[in-house]
Amino acid sequence: MKKSCIAMLLAGGQGSRLYALTQNVAKPNMPFGGKYRIIDFPLSNCANSGIDTVGVLTQYRPLQLNSYIAGGQPWDLDSADGGVFILPPYQTQGEQGAWFSGTANAIYQNMSFIEMYDPDDIVVLSGDHIYKMDYAKMLQVHHEKAAACTIAVLQVSMEEATRFGIMNLGEDGYVEEFEEKPRHPKSDLASMGIYIFNWPKLRRYLIEDENDPNSSKDFGKNIIPNMLSAGEKLWPYRFEGYWRDVGTITSLWDANMDMLSPALINLFDPNWPIRSRSNARPPHYAGEDAEIVHSIVTEGCVIEGHVENSVLSNSAVVGKGAQVLYSVLMPGAVVEDGAVVEYAIIGERTRIGKGAHVGAEPDGTESWGVATCGPDIVIRENAAVPAGAMVYRSEEV
Amino acid sequence: MVNVHGIIYAYGATPNLTELVRNRTAASIPYCGRYRLIDFALSSLMNAGIHNVGVIMQRDYQSLLDHLGSGKDWDMGRRMGGLRMLPPFGLPEYHNGNYSGTMEALNGVRTYIEDIKEDTVVMMQGNLAGNIDLEAALRNHKKSEAELTAICTDTTPEYRHHRFVPDADGFARRMVFNRYEAGEGIASLEAYIVSKELLLKLMDYCYTENKHHFHRDAIANYLEGGGRVNIYMHNGYAKRIMSTESYFRSSMESLRPEVRADLFPVERPVRTKSHEDVSTYYSESAVSRNSLISDGCMVEGEVINSVIFSGVRIGKGAKLKNCILMRGCEIGENVCLTNCIVDKYVTIGADQTLAGSPALPLVVPKFSKI
Repeated sequence: MKKSCIAMLLAGGQGSRLYALTQNVAKPNMPFGGKYRIIDFPLSNCANSGIDTVGVLTQYRPLQLNSYIAGGQPWDLDSADGGVFILPPYQTQGEQGAWFSGTANAIYQNMSFIEMYDPDDIVVLSGDHIYKMDYAKMLQVHHEKAAACTIAVLQVSMEEATRFGIMNLGEDGYVEEFEEKPRHPKSDLASMGIYIFNWPKLRRYLIEDENDPNSSKDFGKNIIPNMLSAGEKLWPYRFEGYWRDVGTITSLWDANMDMLSPALINLFDPNWPIRSRSNARPPHYAGEDAEIVHSIVTEGCVIEGHVENSVLSNSAVVGKGAQVLYSVLMPGAVVEDGAVVEYAIIGERTRIGKGAHVGAEPDGTESWGVATCGPDIVIRENAAVPAGAMVYRSEEV
Repeated sequence: MVNVHGIIYAYGATPNLTELVRNRTAASIPYCGRYRLIDFALSSLMNAGIHNVGVIMQRDYQSLLDHLGSGKDWDMGRRMGGLRMLPPFGLPEYHNGNYSGTMEALNGVRTYIEDIKEDTVVMMQGNLAGNIDLEAALRNHKKSEAELTAICTDTTPEYRHHRFVPDADGFARRMVFNRYEAGEGIASLEAYIVSKELLLKLMDYCYTENKHHFHRDAIANYLEGGGRVNIYMHNGYAKRIMSTESYFRSSMESLRPEVRADLFPVERPVRTKSHEDVSTYYSESAVSRNSLISDGCMVEGEVINSVIFSGVRIGKGAKLKNCILMRGCEIGENVCLTNCIVDKYVTIGADQTLAGSPALPLVVPKFSKI
């Protein structure tokens, strides 16, 4: 079945900088913004952009992610001649199977999947970004510019530029040079990790790169520089709008707090819905003494206490007299009566005991940070979890 | 595999639901912030592992069809069996436009009933707000070795209902019909478990005798002939929604935690058609007390003792008390609503005041602009 364009979604990374939160689940499966999992954003973008065939490359702890994506029905990706496909590493006859050793290698290992659809172009996406983007528009520009590769770029400040892969452009507007995390950036155009490749060309570079023993098999480090030095046309597609990488505790917390500002990213837009698998829980209940201020709350929550500047995922519970401030409660998290949770991320189904205190407001010191409790933990009554703590197991506190 | 088939009645005329059934049948009335009444019957069946279900409908079923879709939300979108819609075939017998009773409705879909492969049939009312543990009821039915089990409640329905009078052995051999209050016997929830064989026998009897009613004709005849009815008690919350007033009262009751625990037990979830909604956003000025609020809302005003469906916007300074707001309503700034049932996609401009009373809540019809 010929498709003009399919998407490959890289969802195999461990998300090691999320520590306790990703000890049992892959980062793309991380709950986000109350209603969502991170992977809902790229999957919804695909569906809304009219891309009906998506390969999801999984590797690290994929079980929950697999069952979350399942048939792809919530994203309308359960189509008859396409759909969403989970692509784990696999063994082949005569050869040993191998883990994906880099982003480019992950695509290389799934070339036979891509060739089933014989696409003209493929979109390569990350499973850990929060944004709304019409890939169809980007594809149009990709064709107009006759590019071998089009890279979505975002304008960042010069200070931030040192943390990103930076595109330096030539006079004709095409990419001239790509620098990974430059110490002295020459440009402020940062790669968003979203690529559209001409598939026959990419296929050739993937095979060449695979045969290079010194390559780290990465798009940013190897494929893009190789294409540039071979004189291919690479076009920077400028994206304006909200985009966040949520790879660290601080950025995950920040991006969740951004969801409290509808001006930053409008999730109410009926023309670009971000879809998710629903849990079929009753509407949330605000109790007699509940106070919910400047927050987002999701189905199944029961709130008897005070919630302010916080993001509550489905079925979170806030007991009487409890306070949740500037925090993220993941699905099923329970804050018992009288407990205080501030500047914290509480993992799925974790229970904060009565009178316990998790996190603290910023005090201006270097050591301050968001307090994090992993999933399925019990914080005992009246315990204190300091700012910046990272709790993996119940026994730690 | 469960050897049981489900039939849901979604045809009954319920004129006392007034404006709420202007565009829909009672079974598809929105309830409890995100559901339709029929979700309870469908979910009760689904949670007992019953996936082959027929829904008998007769008129105003457009919204019901839209809600049910392929039945996939209840695991009933199956290649084999699954959910079957049973609208009337327009046979000349039904000239007056309404089935005059359950037996007439069943005889109207007789070929469907004959084709049922399962030995046992569960019959449910589409307008019952109650989560019935049908797995336990079916166990009880089997153990009793009765051909017919009536699911009953020890509470007293506020509307006309029928009561079974059980003997010392727990089986009922006598009924009292058309009661409005407590008294002899126990109230039927009009949910039955019946062998397919007996059901067809009762349908034959009613067809040849030109009788239409399940209780007054079919069961009465069965009891007269020496039949016995096993009684299964449903102890949780269960209300049939028959009037605007009972809809309002039941909605207010759903604010009580113990009622919600009965309606939405974790082990028997109620499924519904899913919408693309975001989490609900509360602004700095929002107040929300003793209320159920669905996803996709934007709350900037005050919500007290209310049930708010998805996608509702409540402007700054608005005050809502004892209200039910259905999907997609827009409430302007400083609007004051008390004891109102606001149907879907109503827009109320700034500074308006509307009020009903608990005994006579004000119903604002679908798509109104005020």
